[in-house]
Amino acid sequence: MTKSQGGWSLGFGHWDLVIEIWTLVVMSLGYRLRELVTYRELIRNLVIRDLKVRYKKSVLGFLWSLANPLLMMLVFTVVFTIMIPNNTIQKFPIFVLCALLPWNWFSTSIMGSIQSIVSNANLVKKVYFPREVLPLSAVLSNMVNFLLALVVLFGMILVFQIPITMWAALLPVVIFTQFLFTLGLGFILSTLNVFYRDTGVIMDVFLLAWFFLTPIFYPIDILPTQRVVLGLNLDIHRLVRWVNPMASLIDTYRLILYGTPDGAPPGQPAFDFLLRTLVTALVVLAIGYLVFVRYSRVFGEEV
Amino acid sequence: MAISLPRRTTSSLRGAKERNDGFDEHRIEHDLAPAVEFSEVSKRFILQHDRPRSFQELAISFLKGNGRREEFWALRDISFAVPRGQSIAVIGQNGAGKSTLLKLIARILEPTDGRLTVNGRVSALLELGAGFHPDLTGRENIYLYSSILGLSRREIVQRFNAIVTFAEMERFIDVPVKYYSSGMYVRLGFAVAIHVDPDILLIDEVLAVGDEAFQQRCLDAIHRFRLQGKTIVFVSHDLAAVQNLCDRVIWLEKGRIHEEGPAYEVIDRYLRYVHRKEQADFPPASFPNERGDGGETGELRKRWGTREVEITGVRFLDGSGRERQIFFTSEPLTARIHYKAHRRIEQPVFGVAVYRSDGLHVSGPNTRFSGYPIEHIEGEGEIDYTIVSLPLLEGTYEFSVACYDQMLQHAYDHQHRLYTFRVRTGRLHERFGLIYTPCRWEHRPLAVDHPVKV
Repeated sequence: MTKSQGGWSLGFGHWDLVIEIWTLVVMSLGYRLRELVTYRELIRNLVIRDLKVRYKKSVLGFLWSLANPLLMMLVFTVVFTIMIPNNTIQKFPIFVLCALLPWNWFSTSIMGSIQSIVSNANLVKKVYFPREVLPLSAVLSNMVNFLLALVVLFGMILVFQIPITMWAALLPVVIFTQFLFTLGLGFILSTLNVFYRDTGVIMDVFLLAWFFLTPIFYPIDILPTQRVVLGLNLDIHRLVRWVNPMASLIDTYRLILYGTPDGAPPGQPAFDFLLRTLVTALVVLAIGYLVFVRYSRVFGEEV
Repeated sequence: MAISLPRRTTSSLRGAKERNDGFDEHRIEHDLAPAVEFSEVSKRFILQHDRPRSFQELAISFLKGNGRREEFWALRDISFAVPRGQSIAVIGQNGAGKSTLLKLIARILEPTDGRLTVNGRVSALLELGAGFHPDLTGRENIYLYSSILGLSRREIVQRFNAIVTFAEMERFIDVPVKYYSSGMYVRLGFAVAIHVDPDILLIDEVLAVGDEAFQQRCLDAIHRFRLQGKTIVFVSHDLAAVQNLCDRVIWLEKGRIHEEGPAYEVIDRYLRYVHRKEQADFPPASFPNERGDGGETGELRKRWGTREVEITGVRFLDGSGRERQIFFTSEPLTARIHYKAHRRIEQPVFGVAVYRSDGLHVSGPNTRFSGYPIEHIEGEGEIDYTIVSLPLLEGTYEFSVACYDQMLQHAYDHQHRLYTFRVRTGRLHERFGLIYTPCRWEHRPLAVDHPVKV
């Protein structure tokens, strides 16, 4: 207990930390999770608060959250089919919307959870409640938006006469995987932002880079399997899939809802990739949660 | 039964009176675990003066070398237990660690060392309405804030009407709270916090809010709480409120427990201690070194007169002749006025005046009105003005002193509000108004057979 008070210092690589993490896992995780369940009403209310506050001020209210991806879709469609016309992707609006909606959920959740602790500083300093509720509700409220936007996506799919196949039933699995991954990352970044307030600024740029490194407005198969960079022969296609869980997730969304760019109907995703992504997501969540649990103790002083 | 023992011994006279004894006995069986227990708890803060608050600063501090780190122990080796159903107050001067202690119980902070057990649901009145969102309505905020305090949906629905009624918010419940007055805000916050129905209530100086009627209702609610056998931990500078609300007092001094015991005893000793300390920090008004003439004292404090008689100083003495600056209500107070007459003055009149610090003129006697003629003065001497029993209530008072001719026309030396003394209420419970009047109350219920004698 005494040794744990390194204050803010993020000193990884100490043995006592390893031991302590183990103790935490065994001793308190069960308790914390049970406590989280008793605070479910708070999670619900925070999600409602987020949504209400977001829509109360704007005239169109919640329609905006639907209009935003549709307008983005329009922009991409104009750019890639009219301004750069030599692409062979069939039904480009759906192609891009399938990827854009999950990406929006991801990026808004990340930015939301980064600020979640700091922007609720008045609460964190005055009232006890499990702190993980804050990033969790940030991810969840954006998920509600995403689910509503999915309804629009399905409408568009019908308009563009893309068949809805049995593979669409995999959607909950993909969404769940993305949820775990986003939450894990949200835990880490929200903790980091308590100690270093420019985390959000850095992540802004980082997310932009991430956006381009993820096959959102281009098909993943466009990536070269062989490319010499700085004297190294890299398989960019493989690398992106391996390193970037969002690439696998978005490719899977696209496969089960849209099909392939050459106009083939939705089909079977690569299960090994999906499974690997799920494992990655679980690992990220586990690490994120442990980091969060360890440092959330000092949120009351640091925030 | 070792744990129930301290409870019995420490429950104060008032506590015993208010509680039904049978009820008390019954509770003791369930009281095996104290509501709050500290064992050798310490809390350290690390004050890092140049601690990087961003990655940018982190990079800079990498180049510059690390900033200074300073340890500060807000609490050190604190051990005590609060049995269920007891109200305990934590007193101490600023920086003694009171709020840190409360935040530890509330789980906002974690102890650096030691063990801290809390049994039961805690509701903290640390900052009322801290969880409100300005854009949401009162209704929505009640739901949000209650769930922050850990209530389930069903529990919130059950309490909703009671909360609204208590806060007197029926008309405004569907208005966003950003349009609320600060009083309404606090009322709603208190209403929610008190309706959480906690086992342990933490109160940190929040009673000084709202109008008097609402304050009274808050106090009533807290009293009801006590009668239900709930535990209260209270932090306050308002010692009168502490005496009213608490059985037991913990006196913190620089992060350590200085003393712990029945409320009356500890508060009494604490007051004496503060008094001594203030005496030391706030030296007695000695002889005015022409300070009345200087501009620094402002317009309220003045000195004028021909100085044929010079008042060279005033000292405040207690009943045993010791010089003091702070007096308790209903103690004797003597103002000893030193003078120096540069020539023989026939039938001078000495006068004094007491002002409250806000300028209210409390009294202004002089030797002539009091029927105490002075033949003449020459050279040095002193005049004692004694208040047999100081009627003033808590506050800071200013003291004027003057020497005039017989007709009160010609000022030899008038020192207007140049001296200061303080009054503490001490053991008395009077808080309202300006003065304490010794009094007696009697109660005669009207009986049908016995008409009242007027």
